[in-house]
Amino acid sequence: MDAVLDIAPIATARSGSAVPPVRIDRVTKDYGRRRALDEVSLTVERGEIFGYLGPNGAGKTTTLRILLGFLRPTFGRAEVLGLDSWSRSRVAHRRIGYVAGDVALYDRMTGDELVRYLGHLRGGIDADYVRALADRLHVELDRPIRALSKGNRQKVAIIQALMGRPELLVLDEPTSGLDPIVQQQVHELLREHASDGGTVLLSSHVLSEVQRTADRVGMLRAGRLIAVERLDDLRQKSLHHVRVRFASPVSGDEFRIEGVRDVEVTGNTLRCASPRPALNELLRAIARHDVVDLSCEEASLEDMFLAYYGGNGGGDAA
Amino acid sequence: MLHSVGLKTLHEQRRSLLAWSIALVLLVGMYAGFYPSFKGSHAYNDIVNRMPKALRDLFTAGTGLDLNSGAGYVYVEMLSFMAPMLVLIYAVNAGATAIAGEEERHTLDLLLATPISRARVTIEKYAAMCVGVLGLVLAMGVALVAFGSAADMQLAAGHIATAMLHLALLGMVFGGLALLAGAWTGRVGAARATAALVAVAAYLVNGFAPSVSWLKPVQTLSPFYQYIGHDPIRHGLSLTSAGIAVATAAVLMKAAVVVLTRRDIQG
Repeated sequence: MDAVLDIAPIATARSGSAVPPVRIDRVTKDYGRRRALDEVSLTVERGEIFGYLGPNGAGKTTTLRILLGFLRPTFGRAEVLGLDSWSRSRVAHRRIGYVAGDVALYDRMTGDELVRYLGHLRGGIDADYVRALADRLHVELDRPIRALSKGNRQKVAIIQALMGRPELLVLDEPTSGLDPIVQQQVHELLREHASDGGTVLLSSHVLSEVQRTADRVGMLRAGRLIAVERLDDLRQKSLHHVRVRFASPVSGDEFRIEGVRDVEVTGNTLRCASPRPALNELLRAIARHDVVDLSCEEASLEDMFLAYYGGNGGGDAA
Repeated sequence: MLHSVGLKTLHEQRRSLLAWSIALVLLVGMYAGFYPSFKGSHAYNDIVNRMPKALRDLFTAGTGLDLNSGAGYVYVEMLSFMAPMLVLIYAVNAGATAIAGEEERHTLDLLLATPISRARVTIEKYAAMCVGVLGLVLAMGVALVAFGSAADMQLAAGHIATAMLHLALLGMVFGGLALLAGAWTGRVGAARATAALVAVAAYLVNGFAPSVSWLKPVQTLSPFYQYIGHDPIRHGLSLTSAGIAVATAAVLMKAAVVVLTRRDIQG
């Protein structure tokens, strides 16, 4: 049974100001000669769930670690909750919950001990709330962490991030490695957090993992933020893979309709990708010929992203 | 015990601290047990007197100790080598793992994501190491008083206490160096090696200085000289030596704070 949870971020009432919870302004991070982040600018608004996407090694973790004040930007400025992420990180941390990408917990402690320890460092803990979160995620906090499965450790990490009712959640691939049911439970918690006025910034290397939760997504590639889109807008651009076999050879030119991409005609077969608004026109063109076979499948958002923002190559090395 | 970084660190070390304390007490008991058979026999003095001067200095720091006295016996058998070595192994290990251990295991992220500053983490870790060292020398000091009187070594309790205090300060200096190296590099191995190398060098400088003329000017710089150069078991507290050791430890702690506060913490 799922406990009914009031997961309202405790501090929203205190700071109802219009300061965006995340404001990154032309942040560049160099490691020696290697540029890990290149003039990334991004603002995440209150109440928003932002999916930060990119292949491994694109700079997602670097960005999140800058926001937590673990790394200092080489150039540019990052603010969390209106506070400079490097110089004011201690103050900001009161209002931020964080799950690291490579989750490591104190293995010899039990989940309860870990939560109590981190709770003390945060200046207090709401034991009932922790209990409710644990019940909801079905994780036993009385077992030593080293005895837990990877998925259950991840849940403990998520509980410790949520337990202070932070205004901002920064989560580095929080659901990678979790089974789909647990992923869903976690995303449910995130949606509740956001609908209560909290803000979520979560990274992932696959769009499908965040597409049902995020309001907006940003695509990072080789240290550059190449696109930021509302998911609703992205769905409008949603592409359909169309494949038609005609009774006789056709010419490609008549299918070059505005919006239709990747038109490819070989003999009597047509392949192309069409956004929703162009489908009608495309079908009219197809209907002028004798059709033997036709398939039309909606492309994944992943494919679409790559189609619109240059899918050649999978980003730089991981 | 989970109320602060320092308390939690000590809590984690409770078993190891207990084991170290027992080992130190047993060591003292064993040496004290041998003492009555040494006393009155001149064999031991003869052995030491037949040693090359350089080697003799290493063990007696050129103080011309009477090895048949309780104080001389404790100095040579325990305080000159065995006790500082054991205390330093603990202190260097505790210092090296304080920051770097958490960083290597990636738990430092968890700690630094809380509203606790890096400076505070460093200071609490340092304090935990110091408390651990004090616990060890306390166990050893109590054992020296107890076994010493049982074996009729005629040791002054006050002098034992000051000798133990000087020993603790020695541990804090090298533990602090290990902590600084760990905060700087984030690597336990590098931190341990740095502190161990410097400790061995400092030990040799202090030990050989009486017979190697070019080492004499630098002897007083050695933390081992601050620890034992004035023979605390016979002469008690040296405020100058203790002051220098405290100042060294404080500078090392401050340096560790500065280093950790300014650098990037990689995931």
